[in-house]
Amino acid sequence: MKVRVDPDRCQGHTLCAMRAPEVFELSEIDGHASVADEEVPADQEDQVNEAVMSCPERAIAIVSTAGARS
Amino acid sequence: MSGDGAMSGDDRKRAPIRFDRHTPEYREQFEAVTQELQGKCPIAWSETYDGHWVASGHHEVFEIARSADVLSNDHDVKGERRGYEGISIPAPPRAKSSRGGFLEMDPPEQRYYRQTLNPYLSPAAVNRWIPLVDEVVRASIDERIEEGRIDFVDDLANIVPAVLTMAMMGIQLKKWTVYNEPAHASVYTPPNSPDQARITEMQRAMGRDLYTSIVEIRANPRPGLVDALVRADINGSTPPDDELLGVLALLIGGGFDTTTALTAHALEWLSENPRQRERLSRERGALLDSATEEFLRYFAPAPGDGRTFSADCEIVGTRFKEGERLWLSWAMANRDPSVFPEPNTVDLERKGNRHSSFGLGIHRCIGSNVARMVFKRMVTQVLDRMADFVCDPEGAEHYETIGVIQGMRHLPATFTPGPRLGAGLDETLDALQKVCDEQRLAEPVTVRRAVAKIDH
Repeated sequence: MKVRVDPDRCQGHTLCAMRAPEVFELSEIDGHASVADEEVPADQEDQVNEAVMSCPERAIAIVSTAGARS
Repeated sequence: MSGDGAMSGDDRKRAPIRFDRHTPEYREQFEAVTQELQGKCPIAWSETYDGHWVASGHHEVFEIARSADVLSNDHDVKGERRGYEGISIPAPPRAKSSRGGFLEMDPPEQRYYRQTLNPYLSPAAVNRWIPLVDEVVRASIDERIEEGRIDFVDDLANIVPAVLTMAMMGIQLKKWTVYNEPAHASVYTPPNSPDQARITEMQRAMGRDLYTSIVEIRANPRPGLVDALVRADINGSTPPDDELLGVLALLIGGGFDTTTALTAHALEWLSENPRQRERLSRERGALLDSATEEFLRYFAPAPGDGRTFSADCEIVGTRFKEGERLWLSWAMANRDPSVFPEPNTVDLERKGNRHSSFGLGIHRCIGSNVARMVFKRMVTQVLDRMADFVCDPEGAEHYETIGVIQGMRHLPATFTPGPRLGAGLDETLDALQKVCDEQRLAEPVTVRRAVAKIDH
C-alpha cells in the first residue's frame, strides 16, 4: 500500500510520527509531516493505519496499489 | 436535530439551549451536558453572553474549525476592522482588552507570526531542551523528596513549564517567579474576588518585566523567542510593542496553566488508579506516548475556543450569518462516542485517538510539542522517584469552573521519602542559566541543532 500526507491539511500535530516513526518524517522547522517513500513496507502497515486513524486533521490517505483511494 | 436539508440559523435559534460553561454546574455535570448536546443538538444556539453557537459534536467541531475561510479569530480591540471579539466568550471588558497575540489574528498576519516562532517550537527544536528540563524536574523533586510530601501543582507542575518558557524566551530563569503566580491566578481568580487587586498588581509587574525584556533584547540581541519577535518580519515591518506584548502574553498564558493542568490531572488519576500507574511505569516505552494523548483527550486543559463567522455560510447542515459568535468545544468533541468508543473512560493505549485538545486547523497550539515533552519528563521522574505517591483528595483543589482552563490549584501527595540527587532549585537554576548563556540554547533549530549539554 501507499500513503500520502496532504500538506494543505497537515497542521503539525505529530501523532503520525509517534505511531509510525519509520514512515513519517517531521519537518525540523515546523513539525509538519511528510513521507520520504510513499510505498509502505509490509511490516509498517498496521502502524500506518493507526497513524491514519490518529490524525486529528484527517490529512493522511492510504492509496491502494491499484491507485484507488480507500 | 438532523432533518432534511440545511437548517437555517433562525430555525435553530427558536429552540435555544441553556448553556453557560462558566458555571460550576457545567464542570460538575460535564459528561451529562456533553451527552445531551451531542445527542440532541451537536450545533446549538445558546442565548448566554449575547448569544452564540456551541459546537459539541466531533464531526461538527472538525468541519467548522477547519473552515478558515469563513471563520475569524480576529480581536479588533481598536475598532479598525469589523469589530470582532476574538476567542473569548464573553469577550473581556473593552477597557481591559488587548489582542491575544496571533491566536486573535487571521491569516496572513497570523501566519507571519507562526512562521517566525515555529523554528523554536518544532519537535526537533523542543527536544534540544530535554536535558535542561530533566534537571529542573530533578531539582524540584529534590526539594521535597526527603520530606515524603509534595504539592504536585506548587512544587513541580507550576515550576517546570515556567522555567522552560523563560529559557526559551531568553529571559532569566530565576524570573519564573515573577510570571508564575499571575499566569495561573489570572485564570482561576473570579473578577469579583477580594484577591483581584493583588493579582492585577502582579500582572502589571509581569507586563513591566516583559516590556523591559523587549527593550533590552531589541538593544542587545540575545537568542530566544523575544529576540525572534522584536526582529520579526511581519509582512515587511516589525511588530509594534503592543502586539509584541500580546504575543508574549499568549505564549505565557498558553504555556503555563495548560501544562500544569494536564500534569496535575494525570497525576491525580494515576494516584486513583495505582494498577494503571504501575503498568504505565513498567511499559512506559510502549505506553507513554499513547497515555499522554489519552490524558490530553480526557482532561483537555484548554476546553475550547471562540470564533466569529466572517461570512454567511452553511457548514454541516446549518446556516450561519456573518458576525455570529461560536464556541468550538474541544473538550466535548473529545467525548464523542462516534469517534472515541467509551469516551468517558481513560484508556492508556487508546487507538485512533484523534483528539482536538490542541485545537484543529490553522491555529493548532504552537506549543503542543513543548507541552508533551515537559509533561512526559515530569511524569517519568515522578514514576521513578515517587512510585507509591498517594494524592490527598481533601487537599486537591480543582478550578471551580472550566470555562477557560480545566485546571488545578493544588494537588498535595505523600510518598515514601528518598534521597536527594543534587542541588536545590535555586542553585540548579543558577547553573542552568550559565548553560543557557554559554551554549545559546534559545537559538532557533535553524541556527543550533545540538541538544543541551549539562555536566553532572
